[in-house]
Amino acid sequence: MQTHTRTQHTHTHTHTFILLPCLLRPAPVVYLVAMCRAVPVNDLLDRASQRSDKMHSLSTLLTQEMDSHFPPYGRMQMPRPADCHTSALQTPNDKEQALQVSESDLMSLARSLLQAWVDPLAVLSTSAITLPHPSKSSISSKIQELQEHSKSLADGLDILSGKMGPSAQAISFLPYTGGTDLGQDRVTILNKFNFLLSCLRRDSHKIDSFLKVLRCRAAKLQPELC
Amino acid sequence: MKKVGEVVLLWLLILFIHNAAGEGYSPPGKPTNISCRSPEKETFTCWWKPGSDGGLPTTYALYYRKEGSQRVFECPDYKTAGKNSCFFSKNVTFVWVNYNITVVATNSRGRAFSDPVDIDVVYIVKPNPPEEVVVNVTEDKDWPFLQVSWKPPKMADTRSGWITLFYEVRLKLENKNKWEVVSAGQRKTLQIYSLRSGGTYEVQVRCKPDHGFWSEWSPSSRVKVPEYFPQERSMWILIVVFAAFILIIFIRMVYMNFHSVKRYLLPPVPGPKIKGIDKQFLKSGKSEDIFSSLVVSDFPPTTSNYEDFLVQYLEVYVPEERELIMNEGKDLQDDSFKTENSTCDNDSGRGSCDSHTLLTDKGGGDKEDGQQSDQEGSQAEADTKSQEEALEEELLACSHENLQSSNVSNEKEKVKSWPSLFSPLPQYSFSPVNRPNPPKTGKQHCLSDSLFTPNSMPSYFTQPGPSTTKGFRSNYWECSFDHKQSHPLHPQSAAHEHLQAQNDLNTAHVDYMGAPLDVHVLNVRPSEYVEVQRVSVEDGVLLHPVSPSQEDSRTLSHQTEDYSRVRVVNNDNGLLLLQRDAIEEEKSMCPYQEDVVSRASITPTLQNSATGINIALPILDEMAASGYIDTAIMFGLPTH
Repeated sequence: MQTHTRTQHTHTHTHTFILLPCLLRPAPVVYLVAMCRAVPVNDLLDRASQRSDKMHSLSTLLTQEMDSHFPPYGRMQMPRPADCHTSALQTPNDKEQALQVSESDLMSLARSLLQAWVDPLAVLSTSAITLPHPSKSSISSKIQELQEHSKSLADGLDILSGKMGPSAQAISFLPYTGGTDLGQDRVTILNKFNFLLSCLRRDSHKIDSFLKVLRCRAAKLQPELC
Repeated sequence: MKKVGEVVLLWLLILFIHNAAGEGYSPPGKPTNISCRSPEKETFTCWWKPGSDGGLPTTYALYYRKEGSQRVFECPDYKTAGKNSCFFSKNVTFVWVNYNITVVATNSRGRAFSDPVDIDVVYIVKPNPPEEVVVNVTEDKDWPFLQVSWKPPKMADTRSGWITLFYEVRLKLENKNKWEVVSAGQRKTLQIYSLRSGGTYEVQVRCKPDHGFWSEWSPSSRVKVPEYFPQERSMWILIVVFAAFILIIFIRMVYMNFHSVKRYLLPPVPGPKIKGIDKQFLKSGKSEDIFSSLVVSDFPPTTSNYEDFLVQYLEVYVPEERELIMNEGKDLQDDSFKTENSTCDNDSGRGSCDSHTLLTDKGGGDKEDGQQSDQEGSQAEADTKSQEEALEEELLACSHENLQSSNVSNEKEKVKSWPSLFSPLPQYSFSPVNRPNPPKTGKQHCLSDSLFTPNSMPSYFTQPGPSTTKGFRSNYWECSFDHKQSHPLHPQSAAHEHLQAQNDLNTAHVDYMGAPLDVHVLNVRPSEYVEVQRVSVEDGVLLHPVSPSQEDSRTLSHQTEDYSRVRVVNNDNGLLLLQRDAIEEEKSMCPYQEDVVSRASITPTLQNSATGINIALPILDEMAASGYIDTAIMFGLPTH
C-alpha cells in the first residue's frame, strides 16, 4: 500500500515540476528541447526550497501539537536527538562549514536526508491513527501531508540533481531501524513518537537550509532574493 | 567585672544570633526563565532571572552540555550581553546541536540549580531590526507616494542564503494611534500610496527569518507629505457635476410629465353633468342664452327626450278638487315608485316599479307595502298601508310602463288602474340631479284618474277577472315630482289628487329641467303616453305607459301633444286607450288601471287584460290608426 501511494504521488507530483519531460529529453531530440522552454535552475530551486519550507513548518506544528498534551514526565525519558537514525550523516554544524560545502554535496545531503525519512514517515502515519493522543486526527493528517510533500520534493530534487552532476545524485543510505512498532504501552509509544518527530523537525530544517543556500548560490540573476 | 563581661558576651551572642537569623542567610533562590536568542544563527545569548539571593552575595554560573557529550562547559562570556546573561560566540555556537543549559546560583549558604533547558540554535533565531530605513516622498503626477527602503541587519547573512528574512513595514500618521501594516516579503523596498495631503507619517520596519521570531521594530522614520491637489476638492467637483446632471434629468422628467403630475396633485374638479347644459356654451357667457338653453333643452320636451320616456302620460284636465285629492297619494306613489325602481330595471324613466309585482294580489299591497317600506322606509307608506292604499300604490307604481319589465308579462292579466298624469320617472334616476328639486321629479305622477268619481273605489285588477268594481280608483295619488303632500290616499281625496296632479304637472315640467343623462332613463317626460290597457269594469280605463324604446320616432313626432290612442271603445263607458307602440309592448306592460274617463264614460270592457287587449287591439287598430284621441277631451266627456 505504501508503494502504491508512492507511485501515485510520483505521478501527481511529477507534473508539478514544470516541463520535466523537456528537461529529461535526451539531447538528440533537439527539436523537442527547442520547443520546450528550459526552466532555469534557480527557479527550480526556488520551488524546491518552498516545498522544503512547507515541510519544516508542518513538522514544527506537529511537535507543538504533541507537546500540548504530552505528559511532562515523558520528556525526561526521551532519548537524545543524537540517536536519530540520520545522525550518522555528516552535515555542517555552523555557517562557515555550510558555506564551504559544494553545491553538489549540499544537494546530495538534502536528497539523502529526504530519502531517509520515507520509511519513518510511513511508520509515523500508521502509528498516528492509533496514537493515544487527543489530537491524533490532526496529527495524522499532518503526517500524511508531510508524506506528500516529501514525495514531491524528492521527485523535484531528482530532476535538479540530474542537472548538477553525478556527485549531486549520490544518496547516502540511512536505513531506519526502529521497526514498525513504536512500543506497547502508552508512554513508550508517545515517547517514541515524540522522538521521531523531533528528529524529523531537525532533518527537515537541514534540508530546507541546504536548499536555500543552494538557491542563493544559483540566484546570480536575481540578487534581490538573497 | 564579671557581670560586664557576661553582659558583653551575652550581647555579642545576641548580635551574632541576630545576624545569623534575622538577616536570613540562606541559599540562593533558583534562577528561572532561561531564554536564549540567536540574532543570526551564528551566535546566541541566554538570559536568566535570578531568584532570591538569600541575603548573601550570590554568583551565577551557566553550564551547558552539548548533545552526545557529557562534558560540561561553562558560559564563556557573562559580560557582553549584560547582567544575568551568557553570550555564546561563534566559536562555541553550533547549529543543529542541542544545548542543555543550566544556571547555578551560588552564595555562601548554598547553591541553587535552575531547571535545565534544551535549545537548538536554529530554532531561536530572532534577528535585529532592519537598518538604514529610508523613506522618501516621491512625486508622481501630482500624486505623491512614499518610497521606503531598508537594509537587513548587519549580522544577518542573507546574501549567502544562510538566513532568509521576510520584512514588514508599518506606518501611521503622526498624531494618530493606528498603525497600518504592510508585508513586503523578501523585498527591501516598498511603495505606499494614498497619502494624506500634508500629513506627517512615521514608518517602521521589522524582519523575521523563515523559521524564527520577529525582530523589534526599527526606529521611526518621519516624513512629511507635501500639499498636493486635494482629493477632496476634486471629489466635490465631481459631486457637483453629477448632482447637476441628475437635476437636469429630473427637471426634464418633470417637464415631460407635467400634466400628469399636475393631475395627480390637483385633481380636476368634475364639471356639471346636467343634461342639456353645454359647458362651452356656459363659458361663452351670455346669461340669457344659458338660461334659455336650460329651459329649452328639456321643456317643453323635445323630440330627443321622448326616447327616455317610458310611460306616456295622459294629460288630464282636472278640476282643482281633484288635484288636491291626487296630492294625497303622492308619497305613496313616490315610495312605490322607489320600490318599483328596485324591482323593475333601473331605468329611471320606467315606472320605477314593476307594476306586475305590485299588483300581484289584492292584498299585494301588503307585500308591496312591505317592499316599499323596506326600500323606502317611509313613514308615509307605513301609514297608508291599507289595502286600498296599497292597491293604489301598486297602481301608482305601475303607472310607468317598463317595457323592459317583460318579466312582468305575467302580470299582464292583472288589471291595474293607473292614473298618471306625468311620465313616470324613477326616482333614483333623477336623484342625483333632482335632489335640489323635489326628489319626486322623477316620480311618476300616478294620478288616480280624475275620471273616477270621488266616490268610486279604485278598481284595479290584480288577478284575472278581479272584480272590476275595483278597477276604479277613486284615489288619486301622485307619484310625482313634488311631494307636497304626503297624506295617504283615500277615495275621497281622489279629486284632490287630481288637482294636485295637475299642479304637479306644471311643476313637473319645470322639474324636468334636469333631464337625466341616461338615455334609458325615462325620467324627464313631462308628458308621457299612457296606454290604456284595459277598461275597468265600471268606469275605469287601464292605462299603461308605453315603453320608451318603443316610442322612438313615433313618439318624437308627437311630442308636442299628449295623446293616447284609443284602442277600444268597448262601450259607451269605456275607452281603451293604448299607446301607439303598445302593440309591441303588450307583454311588458304593466297593466295599468286608470280611470281615464268618467264613470259615465267608462265602461269596463276587458276582464283579462291580455286577452282583452289582444282582442281589443285589432279592433282598435283601425281606430288607432285613424288618429289619436285627445285624452283631455276624453276626460272631459263625463256624459260618455
